[in-house]
Amino acid sequence: MLQAFAFYLFAALVIASATFTILARNPVHSVLWLILAFFNAAGLMIIIGAEFIAMLLVIVYVGAVAVLFLFVVMMLDIDFAELRASFMKNFPLGIAIAAVLLAELVLGIGAWQSGGLELGTASGEAAPLLGRSNIESIGALLYGRYLFLFESAGLILLVAMVGAIVLTHREGRAVRGHQDIAKQIARRPGDATVNTRPESGKGVTL
Amino acid sequence: MVDLSQYLPILIFLVIAVGLSAAFVFLPMGVARLTGAHKPNAEKLSEYECGFPAFEDPRSQFDVRFYLIAILFIVFDLEAAFLFPWAVSLDLTGWPGWITMMVFLFELAIGLAYAWKKGALEWD
Repeated sequence: MLQAFAFYLFAALVIASATFTILARNPVHSVLWLILAFFNAAGLMIIIGAEFIAMLLVIVYVGAVAVLFLFVVMMLDIDFAELRASFMKNFPLGIAIAAVLLAELVLGIGAWQSGGLELGTASGEAAPLLGRSNIESIGALLYGRYLFLFESAGLILLVAMVGAIVLTHREGRAVRGHQDIAKQIARRPGDATVNTRPESGKGVTL
Repeated sequence: MVDLSQYLPILIFLVIAVGLSAAFVFLPMGVARLTGAHKPNAEKLSEYECGFPAFEDPRSQFDVRFYLIAILFIVFDLEAAFLFPWAVSLDLTGWPGWITMMVFLFELAIGLAYAWKKGALEWD
């Protein structure tokens, strides 16, 4: 009963915030609605028992990807007047994409009408381990059976990191006064001050 | 299967938080609309005292290095997220699982060393 209440709450909020993501005129508002949609999707994931996926949604999507989207939106420097002017120019393309989406919807509803889908039951090695939590089952599969795929995922992350650095980092800016902390700490008062006894009329040589 | 009842306090907290924040936003609006006179004009709606007119559009192009920091944050965020299922399932995966994660961490450590060496972590 409470589970159904939570499901309908989260599902309605997901759909509502997704709608506002599309309808919002300001792209920044769109991103904020998208973050709300991510949060509610995490709630739905918890209801079906996928705690780890819910955690990933909140940590990775809300915490990192949404911030990245916000950066992109802020960085794009969108000119709204120009956007509205090109609306008529891109109108045929928009109509074509809308037609494709409508065809997909019709096909999907038709497939749904033709009978229930046989998704099968989870069995074999992909089934969640008995008496273990969801996150333990994921860990056992990811680091046991699919460990090479996991390593290649790590390599892809490495490539993404190196690529981002190569694309955005500009050389030459790093040339500047460099702070050598070890040198600063190793400095003693004796190195910093020199006592001299200049003779009168000679001055000091440093 | 997850025992969903342990999430009940979070749901209750969520409902209370949403209800309270909605009340704080909409109650003053409704009270003001019902009790006060609503006659806005250009002078009333303009900024005064503590506010000032915006000088320029807030959406301007800023340094791409913010983006680089965000990308690096995502990568290491994912790395940390992958550690959770690894840590709780070590008794199932054993030494191969442990070595897998160490190789993964080493791969990303190479990336960190590269970023450090290139000076991508410095801001001037």
